[in-house]
Amino acid sequence: MSWLAAALEWQSRAVVGRHLRVYLRNWYTAFLPPALEPLTMLLAFGAGLGGYVMSLTWQGRPVEYMTYVAPGLLAYATFMTAIFQSLFGAFIRMRYQRTWEGQLTTQVELSHVVWGEVLWAAVLSTMYVAIISLVLVALQAAGLIALDLRWLPALWPASFVAACGFGALGLFFTAIVPTIDHMNLPVFLIVLPMGLLSSTYFPLEHPVLVALNLINPLYHLAQAFRGALIGGPVAGHLAGVVGLSALLLAILVPLDLRLLRRRVLGD
Amino acid sequence: MPALLDARSLVKHLGGRRVVDGVDLACESAQVVGLLGPNGAGKTTTLRMLYGFLRPDAGSIHVNGVELGRDLVRAKRAIGVCTQDDTFDGDFTVEQNLSIAARYFRPRPTDLGRRVAELLERFDLAGYAREKPETLSGGYRRRLMIARALVHRPRLLFLDEPTTGLDPQARMGVWDLVDGLRAEGLGIILTTHYMDEAERLSDALTVLARGRVVARGTAKTVLGDLVGEHVIVVDAGPGAAVAAWLTARGRGEPASVLGAWHVPVSGEELAEFARAFPTLRYEVRGPTLDDLFLKLSLAP
Repeated sequence: MSWLAAALEWQSRAVVGRHLRVYLRNWYTAFLPPALEPLTMLLAFGAGLGGYVMSLTWQGRPVEYMTYVAPGLLAYATFMTAIFQSLFGAFIRMRYQRTWEGQLTTQVELSHVVWGEVLWAAVLSTMYVAIISLVLVALQAAGLIALDLRWLPALWPASFVAACGFGALGLFFTAIVPTIDHMNLPVFLIVLPMGLLSSTYFPLEHPVLVALNLINPLYHLAQAFRGALIGGPVAGHLAGVVGLSALLLAILVPLDLRLLRRRVLGD
Repeated sequence: MPALLDARSLVKHLGGRRVVDGVDLACESAQVVGLLGPNGAGKTTTLRMLYGFLRPDAGSIHVNGVELGRDLVRAKRAIGVCTQDDTFDGDFTVEQNLSIAARYFRPRPTDLGRRVAELLERFDLAGYAREKPETLSGGYRRRLMIARALVHRPRLLFLDEPTTGLDPQARMGVWDLVDGLRAEGLGIILTTHYMDEAERLSDALTVLARGRVVARGTAKTVLGDLVGEHVIVVDAGPGAAVAAWLTARGRGEPASVLGAWHVPVSGEELAEFARAFPTLRYEVRGPTLDDLFLKLSLAP
């Protein structure tokens, strides 16, 4: 279980610290995207699509579409931020910037690099979710959405846990795609369908998708956010997030390590 | 006192092939050991095992008395690595590259600010401290790579082809730095394809071929053992008689460079050659490590 212990070792934190330092150099590149993205998405899905949908049923009662979408946006941002950071960000650091190789010449080992990338994806996702939460507070104050925002910060740790699992998934693709052009395959075959078919932007009632979503941590995250912010079951979905994310990490981190050992170290 | 580096019976298979086959290597303080060999000899794989990138299939590596396989992190505290390719962090300035690298070591170097300033000064990088590494010339990039490898004050430094692609002036600059580091007591493992560099910098050479150590010692000893005392350079054009002379002594066709044969011979063979070809025009010179590489490349 040394692969697991590496998550808590100082080298993994040093790798996260390095990424954080790079990220925070420019406030406008650090904070504008997560602040603008929910506005764009809410305008496109909420005001645009919502104009046709008006309202839908959630837990047996009608909910405005904008209000339905807002919690899904938090789950979607968690997923997309973690996946894209561990997919494109990590691939660029591994292949083009050779940051990993530089780190590996120090006391940092590959298990720390991998955990550093996973944890960084989770930290960044949680930061994005926190910023989007502030945007939601502003939209709530403007009367555009009607959410119960009291418990929102309490759900940020769930975003962090889920993002760890998503980060491990992104790194798996990073480990196997031959070139950056091949990233389109996992993005269009897995990431986008998963992002959209997890009850993030619209409810899904097809029995196959409903069954698949039972083992989909993103679905449980979206439902947990929705339950907390609109009113509905939360605990079961949070357990789903934690359990499925732990399973993803237990399967994917050792696999990522094995694949990346071959790819990066040639071993 | 144990050697800074003591590697014994290293074996490594890659892709089902035995790439390193029983290699021993040692390095003391204030010593530069040149690790040489033609392409595919197993140098890079050996080096990557020595600094902890690859795990040997068999054998042991001790760095500063710590076995790499048992406590890699502790062993790596004593190691500095300058890889062949630039692996500095392009997201940071020259100065930040040094301070960021220090954060990857525990215990962290004390007085880090002073250490970074000292390295910038020593490696003539102070004027570029706030520049991004990619704006530097090749020579200064190498300086940054070596400076970064030294930020945590290691005792053993690995330099993997540190002057490849540099102009002569920059190469000599790196040589001076290596000389200075040796004088301060660092043990250095150096790989290079430049024979003058290996001869000039190394206190001892270890020569690899097909994954095995084929010679070790000073440059002179290694050359004498593997190449010969002299090298006859003769035009290969009308060389049928010379070929016959070599065949009679059980020697195959010698290395050919730009239409000339380079024939390694002992002192006795040189005298016999002179008697056999009194009218032939040829040159006699001392052996170089280039001859060694040619010989090893031609070996079956």
